Amino acid sequence: MSQYGFYFDKEKCVGCRACEVACQVWNDAVQTVKWRNVSGVSRGTYPEVTGVNASLACMHCAESPCKKACPRQAISKNEDSGGVTVDQSRCVGCMLCLWACPFGAPQMGVKGRMEKCTFCDERPVGKIKRACEEICPQQAIVSGRIEDLVLRSKQVVAERLSYDKQAEVILGHEEK
Amino acid sequence: MAEQMTRDVINEIRGTKTVPGVCMICPWHCPTESYVKNGKVEYVRGNEFAVNSTSRCVKGISSIHSSRDSDRLLYPMKRNSLGVHERISWDDALTQIAARLKANKEAYGPESLVYLWHLDSNEMFTHQLFGHLYGTPNLSGHGAACDQDRRLAAVATFAHPLPVKDYANSRFVMLWGADPFGPNEALHENRELLEAMKKGCRLVVVDPNRSRTAEKAHLWLPIKPGTDGALALAIAHRIIETKSHDQAFCDEWVHGFSEFAEHVLSNGYTPEWAEAITGISRETIIAVADEFATTKPALMDGLKGLVNYTTGLDALRTVFALNVITGNIDGPGNLILKELAPIDMPVDIPEEAITTTEQLPLYESMGYPLAQDLPTQLLPKAVLDGDPYPVKSLFFHICNPAQSDPNTRLFEKMMAAVDLSVTIDIYMSETAQLSEFVLPESSTYERAEVRESLWAGPQVVFAQPAIEPLGESKPLYEIMKGLAEKMGYGEYFQWDSWEDWARKQTAFLPVSFEELKEKGVWEGELRYHKFKTDGGLATPSGKFEIYSTMFEEMGYNPLPVFTEEHRVKPDAEYPFQLINCKMQYHCGTHTQNNPYLMAIAGENWVELNTRDARRLGIADGDRVEVSSPLASATIVAKVSEAVQPGVARVPHGHGFGRRFGSLARGKGTHINPLFETRVNPISGGISFNECKVNIRKI
Repeated sequence: MSQYGFYFDKEKCVGCRACEVACQVWNDAVQTVKWRNVSGVSRGTYPEVTGVNASLACMHCAESPCKKACPRQAISKNEDSGGVTVDQSRCVGCMLCLWACPFGAPQMGVKGRMEKCTFCDERPVGKIKRACEEICPQQAIVSGRIEDLVLRSKQVVAERLSYDKQAEVILGHEEK
Repeated sequence: MAEQMTRDVINEIRGTKTVPGVCMICPWHCPTESYVKNGKVEYVRGNEFAVNSTSRCVKGISSIHSSRDSDRLLYPMKRNSLGVHERISWDDALTQIAARLKANKEAYGPESLVYLWHLDSNEMFTHQLFGHLYGTPNLSGHGAACDQDRRLAAVATFAHPLPVKDYANSRFVMLWGADPFGPNEALHENRELLEAMKKGCRLVVVDPNRSRTAEKAHLWLPIKPGTDGALALAIAHRIIETKSHDQAFCDEWVHGFSEFAEHVLSNGYTPEWAEAITGISRETIIAVADEFATTKPALMDGLKGLVNYTTGLDALRTVFALNVITGNIDGPGNLILKELAPIDMPVDIPEEAITTTEQLPLYESMGYPLAQDLPTQLLPKAVLDGDPYPVKSLFFHICNPAQSDPNTRLFEKMMAAVDLSVTIDIYMSETAQLSEFVLPESSTYERAEVRESLWAGPQVVFAQPAIEPLGESKPLYEIMKGLAEKMGYGEYFQWDSWEDWARKQTAFLPVSFEELKEKGVWEGELRYHKFKTDGGLATPSGKFEIYSTMFEEMGYNPLPVFTEEHRVKPDAEYPFQLINCKMQYHCGTHTQNNPYLMAIAGENWVELNTRDARRLGIADGDRVEVSSPLASATIVAKVSEAVQPGVARVPHGHGFGRRFGSLARGKGTHINPLFETRVNPISGGISFNECKVNIRKI
């Protein structure tokens, strides 16, 4: 079984929420139930303020706590992508999956059953991008095989360092 | 194409067909793709053949709703004697409008017609019918409420109205009062800037508030509102004083460098002087100036945060001058004087059929000879008093000045007095409500268009109808054709389908019509330093004018200065500067009926600094009263550390507090009645932020 996942670049995300809406439009989801959610955190006092935006959906964990928590065996992992999905016909909406999930990914749908990111299960992996990834203006979201994503993140940091004039660098773009 | 395109994979999955289109949410007009099945738009994304690729902004992807919104205008309407709009037929509407236009032209001349638009979608037909044939010089976009000052500053300096940015190759970017990461400009530009930053490009942002772009900046200069011009002059002072400008470039390509240098040095525009005005320390100003002068390639640009003040025009002239004196212009990584694609007019009008009037355009007669768009806030004077000459017919095409212009009451008075008013829109709007005729237009999903988009090189978007028009709505080209027939100009507007005129418009492009239709976009070569190869610039001197011949000839100061004589600053009674800004999740007045966007931001708010809020006993989410000397409004308060103390920021003054749309109605607050009609005395651009307010908890 392959394990796919999302890579997210916080330095690129501007919190525009296009990913949220692309997810809703592609999956024909209700506007108020968000399978992907963008949040922003800031701290400090004006003008010394720092902050970050994060776009989060289901992480499609290799060992999924939601799958273990579900008393109805409604949650399964896709063989090709490792994507975690909820079988709506088995779900009874007890929300134990949401309680177990460290990221708050599963959402209560309007029909009283849990809904969540399906890793765009209609879209063949390796062939085209996920809806959120395809729409992101900054390309802050990248999906792929976990091994490839780990490699990618190292390459991104290496490339960044190659452009840096200073001998020592603190990663992260906030500077004093 | 041997390789399978990703659009084909999506079509396989969903059983859809890809129709290339164009986004009509904001003026950047990104090329798009619609996925259609059974006459319904199922999915939308960016055009993978274009520079923005498959990406869309949040407003762009949400706009899919306008292809299926049950609140759309579906048939023409006319206001009856009770002031209520009643359905009429297209034939009746066009016949009556044509007859009234003819009568007004005979009695008052063709210049008595004023036609305004927001986004210039299919406006070439308007130019041909109302400009060339009917003969009015008064066709205008929404520049006065938008980038009027930037456009004038750019025309004066570069003889080019819309310089764009080549972030991809830049090493140093400084943005003044511009927030591309917030409300979005061109999507590919944002991506290129973030990529460039990963490769060591520095980003400096000048903004009183911590905007989305300031969040990402290496250095954020939290300047006092409206004082950008002083900061720009001080940077120029430092660069010229240390002789770190590009002397060889100035000698060859700059008109008036010595006058500019003398002006900056002798008037005491020092970093110390600017520190007292801007609140930015002398050391920071010097550091930024030195870095800008020594890092190449670099670019500086500004937008609404500058033009919303009466000081904005000269601030932008100085910012553009800084690009020029350091030789940072039209090269890789600089501001680019965008080359336009060779798009032909859709129909041919023979020379002998063209009407010309002896009257000057309104903006010239109103005393703004350099204005790039009609200063719309002065329109009421022309309608109500016939000053400078009578205006009898008003057209509004997808624009809503009743919501977007300041001093709403005056606008309503004008609409009650004007002889003929026609609104062409896809939704019922506040302006439409005040108009005699309301004509339903098809949305961008239901019409064709051949237009330039805003990539740095020449770029043509070829949008095609994805679905049938909703109800009786018609694309603008069909409305203009219908009007032309009733006005006796039918012979010039002969076509069977939109493909006939689209073929003519694209005849000069080095690409076949079929390929263009399939891809939906054509991008030419991005050429740099065009002024070196193409025989100089179109300015009077043929060079970059930091000493403006155009301004000099019109009796204005040819050099940029910093004066606060037209400012409105906070005082004891009204202690806050009201700042009107765009919202990341809405655009104009036409996105407030969108369920996706309303789920994200269902109302607007006034944002206050924590210290100010604490002093006034205001907590996050409280309702407060914001009052200016002109009017007051009730609005929700948001308490944050992103705004400067002493500033009240209202995102999107003109989109909320609407009367129409089942979702939009009554949400948020319409803030524009608070603004007086203060304008830049040279450009005629509206200075929204020249407004002081008091805030109290209710």
